[in-house]
Order: sequence, then structure tokens, then C-alpha cells
Amino acid sequence: MGPLVPQEIIGADWNLFIAFAIGIGFGFVLEQAGFSSSRKLAGMFYGYDTVVLKVFFTGAITAMLGLLFFSLFGWIDLNLVYVNPTFLGSAIVGGIIMGAGFIIGGFCPGTSVCAAAIGKIDAMVFIGGIFLGIFFFAEGFPLIKDFYMSGDFGPMKVSELLGISGGLMALLVIIAALVMFKFGELAEKKWPREEY
Amino acid sequence: MTIRNVVFLAIFFLGVVIAMVPENTTKPYKLTAEAMLIEVQGAAEMVSADDVAHWIISKDPSLQLIDVRSPDEFAKYHLDGAINIPLSVILSDEYRDYLDQGVKMNVLYSNGTLSSHQGWMILRQLGFKNNYVLQGGMNYWFDTIMNPQAPSMLAADEEFAKYDFRKAASGALGGGSTGALTAPVKEKADKPKVIRKKQKKAPAGGC
Repeated sequence: MGPLVPQEIIGADWNLFIAFAIGIGFGFVLEQAGFSSSRKLAGMFYGYDTVVLKVFFTGAITAMLGLLFFSLFGWIDLNLVYVNPTFLGSAIVGGIIMGAGFIIGGFCPGTSVCAAAIGKIDAMVFIGGIFLGIFFFAEGFPLIKDFYMSGDFGPMKVSELLGISGGLMALLVIIAALVMFKFGELAEKKWPREEY
Repeated sequence: MTIRNVVFLAIFFLGVVIAMVPENTTKPYKLTAEAMLIEVQGAAEMVSADDVAHWIISKDPSLQLIDVRSPDEFAKYHLDGAINIPLSVILSDEYRDYLDQGVKMNVLYSNGTLSSHQGWMILRQLGFKNNYVLQGGMNYWFDTIMNPQAPSMLAADEEFAKYDFRKAASGALGGGSTGALTAPVKEKADKPKVIRKKQKKAPAGGC
């Protein structure tokens, strides 16, 4: 039966409203997990706090298992689920720029909005920076267009690239996540920080 | 064992399960056999040859004729504006954008109605919308639209109107045509031509 909107079980007009409701929920969870503190995100890079890794990977694993089991039960047609196209070159460079921004600013775009909502001035400055970045990216797009479109793999899945089933890929991701959680906690013990 | 470890174990267990089971068992067919039976009995997928002729002549932009016969037959003759999607390749990805869409009205046709109906049933079961079948197929098309038979003199008025339309359609679509049975509307006499005097040019020069 799913996905609900592309199958027109839920009208496309509801799309934005549902996105709004999910967005509110997402913001609430970020705030609950303490992500509106820039030290939390920076802690991921210095090793004293790996909650960010755990929260996001748990979210990813839950969604992944949910989709695969829904597909198994015939509740969702995975062929209709949108897969982001991969542009390898720009994805790598974009990832590096974004990661640097995380460490320098202490926020990701979502958490900066959370933090601004509870009145943190540094988060408001961060959001200003996001809009400046969007402006310069849009204005300068013709200059970087060729690079931006390079390494086009289309809507690729790693499991298809490796020639393994989606389920096996999911198991590998879960194992990787659990190992990362363990290492994260070791790091927290190794580089503890009391004062934040 | 702490709750955390229980959760970790549960996630790992679910991962093992999902790695073992076959992938994506979602049924490709969207309609159940019962729903399909109701649709077939309703015969709502049929469009009449007269309607299609009218749409072709009026160049209806929403009409997309799809010829499901072989490329050879298509090359010999096909309806105006038709594209060729042979029944054997109807499932190929190449044509999916034509068949699974929500804008145009696809009318499938073949010589009879067998192939077009077979194609239509496959498409309908996949959940594709806006696909229809030309009633009677090409054979009926030739009998009625291209070479219409005059109704007997005792037939109802609608029969004559239908015949006249088919005659006219046949003419427009390149079939043999003779005069209509109903009296033609008298052409309006030409209006006398009004010859306008050329306006004098405004005086040039000056300031």
C-alpha cells in the first residue's frame, strides 16, 4: 500500500503539512537529546561525547529496518521510495565543508534552528551564516556547475553496487553501528570532559 | 543485562532476520483479481471509434494513441499520431513513462481487440491509470469510420447523424468519401466587397 503520498492514498496537498508535523517532532527530539548545546556536537569530534553518533545512527537503523520489514510484509513498495542521486565528487567536497562547519560552528542546520528557538545568539549567527552560504552558492553556481554534476551515479544503492541483498547490507550497517557505539563509549572514557 | 544491551541484541537479531529473508516481496500487481473482475465487467476502459475519430480530428492534445501491434504492421499503416509499443515489450522500462502517467489519455489499439485488451489488463493490474482500449480495434475502425455504410432509410435520425459524422471523419482522415446524406448548410452569399479609399498621407515635413 505504501508509500502513501506517491500512491495518492494521502493527497499530495498534505505533503507539506506532514513534513511540518515531522519537522516539529524532529526539533523536539533534538532539543530533548540536548543537541541545542554546541558542545554536544563538537564533542563528537573531540571524542568526549558521542551521543550525536548514537542518536543519528539509531534513527537510521530504525528507519532502515522499518522499511525493509514493511517491504517484507508487503506494506510498502521500495521501488517507489525516492533515492537521492549520488554525485560523488561534490558529495565528498560538500561533506568536508559541512564537517568543518560542524566543528567550527558547533551546530548542524537542524540543531542551529533548535538552539535559536531557545534564544542562543551563537545559533542565530550560525543561521545567518547558512543563509549567506546559500546566497553565495546560488550566485556562484555557474562557476562550480561542472564540478557539482561530476561523478553522477544516479540513484545508486551501495548494496546494488556490491551485488548483495538489501537485507545483508542492513545487517552489515547494524554491525558497523554497534561497533561504532562501542568505540564511541571507549573514546568518552579516554577523553572525558567534566566542565561542559 | 542492561536495557541497552537488550536493545542492541534485539536490533542485531532483527538485522539477522532481514538478511535471511527474500528481498522486497511487495506484489508487483496492485489490483486484486476481484477488483480486476469488476473493472472488466464495467467495460469502462472502452472508448468508441467515433470518440477517437473526433479527438483525432480536433487534435485533442490529451489523446495518445498507442499501437500494440508489431512494428511491421505499424509501419504499413497506423492511426494519426499513434506511437508503437508492441505488446511483447510493453513491460520494458523504455515505455514506462508513456504508460504510467497521469496527464494523457492513452488509447491502446490492435487489429482486433485481443492484443489491446491483453496489454490493457497487464497495465491495469500494475496500477497504471489513464489507459483505454479502442472499441473494435482497427478492423472496426475501417468498417465504420473509413468506409461507413449508409443506414437504411427507415433508421433513426441519430443513425444518419452518426453516418454523416463518420463520412466527414473519413474525409478528414483520408478514407473514401462521398457527399453527406443530410442537406448541406447553404453557404452564405459573399458580402459585397467594401473598397476603402486609401487615407491620404499626413503632410510631411514642416517643423
